[in-house]
Amino acid sequence: MGTQPTSVATPAPRLFLSHATRETIANYMYLLPAALCLGGTVLFPILKAMHMSLYQNVLIRPQDYRFIGLGNYVRLIHDPTFWLSLQNSFVWVFFSVSLQFLFGFLVALVLNGKFFGRAVFRTINLLPWIIPGVVVALIWEYIYQPNYGPLNDLLRRAGLMQVPVAWLSDVDLAMPAVVFTNVWRGIPFFSIMILAGLQAIPAEIYEAATVDGAAVFQRFWHITLPMLRPIIVVATATRIIWTFNYADLIFVMTNGGPANATQITSNYTLMQAYTDLDWGYAATLSVVLLLIMLVFTALYLKISKGVESVAG
Amino acid sequence: MKTQRPGYTLERFLGGPVMWTGLVLATLFAMGPFFWVFLASVKTRVELYAAPITYIPTHPTFMNYVDAWTSRLTPFSTFFANSLWVSSVTMVATIVISTLAGYALARFRFVGKNTLMLVFLATQMFPAVLLIAPLLSQWHALGLIDTYQALIYSNFSFTVPFTVWMLVGYFESIPRELEESAMIDGSGRFGALLRIIVPLAAPGIAATAIFAFVSSWSELLFATTFTSRTDMRTLSAGLLYMVGQYEIQWGQLGAGVIISTIPVAILFVFLQKHLIQGLTAGAMKG
Repeated sequence: MGTQPTSVATPAPRLFLSHATRETIANYMYLLPAALCLGGTVLFPILKAMHMSLYQNVLIRPQDYRFIGLGNYVRLIHDPTFWLSLQNSFVWVFFSVSLQFLFGFLVALVLNGKFFGRAVFRTINLLPWIIPGVVVALIWEYIYQPNYGPLNDLLRRAGLMQVPVAWLSDVDLAMPAVVFTNVWRGIPFFSIMILAGLQAIPAEIYEAATVDGAAVFQRFWHITLPMLRPIIVVATATRIIWTFNYADLIFVMTNGGPANATQITSNYTLMQAYTDLDWGYAATLSVVLLLIMLVFTALYLKISKGVESVAG
Repeated sequence: MKTQRPGYTLERFLGGPVMWTGLVLATLFAMGPFFWVFLASVKTRVELYAAPITYIPTHPTFMNYVDAWTSRLTPFSTFFANSLWVSSVTMVATIVISTLAGYALARFRFVGKNTLMLVFLATQMFPAVLLIAPLLSQWHALGLIDTYQALIYSNFSFTVPFTVWMLVGYFESIPRELEESAMIDGSGRFGALLRIIVPLAAPGIAATAIFAFVSSWSELLFATTFTSRTDMRTLSAGLLYMVGQYEIQWGQLGAGVIISTIPVAILFVFLQKHLIQGLTAGAMKG
């Protein structure tokens, strides 16, 4: 490593820097493009967002632009919609992720079977996850549409419904409807992860257990689940973070409505920026969102390290 | 005849009828919504708004596709070209940037290397909404509003951290001896990276490439915020614009949805093996 052959074409007459130093600099050059990218599109913007959060900055009232210190944060603490959005975020994340996990697990078990055309079935079952969020949102907006949508029609034909329901504009139904959409979209994520985990379990373990007389549910409980634990922890944690941050679906389908019934914190941030044009407060909300995620990420890293040492 | 183990019948039952039922139900659930939108996209206006609902169009037509593609207000041909360009450039640039960084992190000793890895991981946890306001003012100051650059640079904020993180794992799994012998044979480190490491890591690089392309193709918030001209909109932004501006034309919108889905679906069918391997390797490593 230490003796990199010096090129014949460019003899260095005077060595300003030692070999080792030059190599260190050369090594850092590999990182430079990525560092510039992250600096310019992530780290600097985050500092900028923190800076913006200290100002009163409503785009339609430029004359009121001024430094207000932690004023926006004080406002946030007294903003009932923020607390409601946090509560909604919790509901959104909890039901989305737990149902995605449950159905994703079942789909993974089914796709792990041996049958004709398995590759095709796998691809088909993974499709909802790969398409753009706005596409998912529009497909389901159409399905939920009260007059021309198929959901009401199918329920009526099945005799389960008499009066058409406006799924996305009903205060009690809007959240379940968007969560259901998100579940449809997220099932493949869990089935991919769990399927990969299932296939990493050596067949010999099952065979040995079968010989020892373990029945199918016992094998599932005592072999499959423990072996899948690391991947379940990682997949669930990343999914929780991702779902908490994810605003596209709700932004397109309900924009937090009706009457804030689906107002999650990430969408509330967008609404402050786009609808109220209050960029100072939007920045404040996004900084708080970031803090919540950092705390969660720190916890998750701690837990996943624990899992690694147990599993590894 | 073999003696039957306890629970053998149950196992046969779970592996047979139960599995097949589950497979059919899961597939119907995953594909049903696509079928519905596809059927809508080939319906005539009369059938779209008919009561009771018609499921199978009696006079299938591709007029909705032609209308969406050539529309002056929402030109999907332009949106498509924009999406293709932004996603492709993001993909190629991301690969170059991440291959270099991933290789460096896998091979070199750095002060603060672990911290840097943690930064790459933590960046993936950041909410996109956090970046919108500062990036908008940044692109505005640089005069990049309504340019492809603004969208491509912004996409780096989520493509680069994830792909670097994924590629470090791939590069670490390739034995150092391979490139060291190439370096002894006279190629420099960069030459060894290009000729030895990149071909060996091709599956991983392919996975990161698809990830970068697909996630840029799906990106919505940056694309709507940093563009204001119709001719600069991507498919995601164009679809949203279409909904926001007019009474929803489900036929054209359905066509737009199918147009937006097809490229990523095709990419996925061909490369799903690589993608799944890459994603799960990244996740399993945690």
